Amino acid sequence: MAATTEAKVRQLAWVYDLNKCIGCQTCSVACKVLWTRDEGEKHHWWMSVNTMPGLGTPKAWETMGGGVDTTTGKPLPGHQPTREEFGGGFEFNYDEVFYGGTSGKAHLEPQAPRENRWAMNWDEDQGAGEWPNSYYFYLPRQCNHCSNPVCMTACPTGALHKTDDGLVLRDEETCMGDRFCMEACPYKKVYFNYERHVGQQCIGCFPRIEAGVAPACVRQCPGRAVFIGYLEDEDSPVHKLVREWKIALPLHAEAGTGPNVYYVPPLSPYRLNEDMSIDTETPRIPPEYLESLFGPSVHQALATLKSEMDSVREGGSSEMLKTLIAYKWQELLGPFTVDPATLTPGGNGHQGA
Amino acid sequence: MKVAKLTGALADPAAAAWQSVENVRVSLAPVALEAQPTEYIREAWRDRDYGQTAEAQVKAASDGDRLYLRVEWADDPVPNHEFQDAVSAIFPTNGSGVLATMGDAEKPLALWFWEQGRPGPLRLISSGPGVVTKDATANLGANGVLANGRWSVVLSGPADVAQKRKVALAVWNGSRDERAGLAAVSQEWLPLEME
Ligand code: SF4
Ligand code: SF4
Repeated sequence: MAATTEAKVRQLAWVYDLNKCIGCQTCSVACKVLWTRDEGEKHHWWMSVNTMPGLGTPKAWETMGGGVDTTTGKPLPGHQPTREEFGGGFEFNYDEVFYGGTSGKAHLEPQAPRENRWAMNWDEDQGAGEWPNSYYFYLPRQCNHCSNPVCMTACPTGALHKTDDGLVLRDEETCMGDRFCMEACPYKKVYFNYERHVGQQCIGCFPRIEAGVAPACVRQCPGRAVFIGYLEDEDSPVHKLVREWKIALPLHAEAGTGPNVYYVPPLSPYRLNEDMSIDTETPRIPPEYLESLFGPSVHQALATLKSEMDSVREGGSSEMLKTLIAYKWQELLGPFTVDPATLTPGGNGHQGA
Repeated sequence: MKVAKLTGALADPAAAAWQSVENVRVSLAPVALEAQPTEYIREAWRDRDYGQTAEAQVKAASDGDRLYLRVEWADDPVPNHEFQDAVSAIFPTNGSGVLATMGDAEKPLALWFWEQGRPGPLRLISSGPGVVTKDATANLGANGVLANGRWSVVLSGPADVAQKRKVALAVWNGSRDERAGLAAVSQEWLPLEME
């Protein structure tokens, strides 16, 4: 029975509210501390937050191709991001600074050529626009656990698979380090481990999910800016934000991979005229720029957000805004409310909550 | 190709013992684009050259326990920090097998695979270009030396593989991003005869 089969396949999804993300990198560091401290993982940032507009990580990833031609369905060639384009993972001159007898004259300096230096979040807060109308916002990015994962279909050894929860996971034993996944992924969210010769990416914190614990990036966010849940679960904020209210949108959906990380687009302050009066007609972040990221539905999504805010200002009540505000932070965690501190190492993980 | 009976430091490509061993030229050709296993690879490499390493040379020797194959080919000097040069000795697992596709599901091939910079050699079971699984139990050795613009790599493994009676080669040029089925492979099996 088709219905039974369908019911079994669920899709985990993340929603980032870009109006609440403060660019603090707590998610990035939570992920880094949990998963990528081993050999060959110095430059890995499975979760990264970048200032937009910006070149991001890897440097200029939006120009690197990959994804699917949505008219022909054919995969599109992509560039394989290099170690230099990811940047970071620097060695520092600790010995010289701390033990070199330089009496404070030497400063900590990445041991990499000055030109072309790059790293995750290298262009932080640069943004775009001219004072007093300069603008920027933060964009957290991880593997999108796509519904049409081109990383998976590009792989000759079958190292990647889609789980019943909709996560795209890699079997490192099967991975030969061929890196077609890195070329094919339009989000450039696969990292290569040059020591162990395997690709690596966000694992959706699946061991935590299995134990009922929310992913580290979600649970640690101090801005209450990220939700997780199953897209099909009608009570989930994720479902409501994406499917019902349609105010959370995928990034670069035109790449054709069916990403499952969604974003509530950023509202922006009005522009200032030369005489410093307020131009209430023109948002400071150009709508065409947001459309280039989130597609044409971004205008409707922003209009919906604004009209909800207007109605609350006039004394109304809005379930949408209450959801986004997340008065109870556990609401962000979907069904994954177990406190990881209640788990015993090696236990089955279900004794909490 | 005769497998010379020798003792001594055969694992070292520069070992003097190799000088007396017969040198066999092997011509290589690219694995066909149509045979590449995923649509992504076929689309992305449609207009890119690969598998242009036209020739390799091979010598074989055994001390009774282990079979040593010394493979030599011209290095492409273009630097590439992402992909590395690699070579495989190829053996049948099931009587024979199609070299042009690096094996298939019915007659997979066994590869002794060495890649520059990789911690050790791997034994791979190949049922198509780049369609490989790793064999964890393999007892292989490898040493590669780049000198005067040429790679010399000695691959070694249990001598009983010579009972398969044939061997072939594949070479990957890292300078051109070659990996998986993007390789130059022998056109014919080379008979292996123990001396
Ligand atoms: S974001 Fe990239 S790596 Fe993740 S599932 Fe999509 S295509 Fe694959
Ligand atoms: S889900 Fe887990 S692995 Fe993935 S980005 Fe978040 S913290 Fe990292």
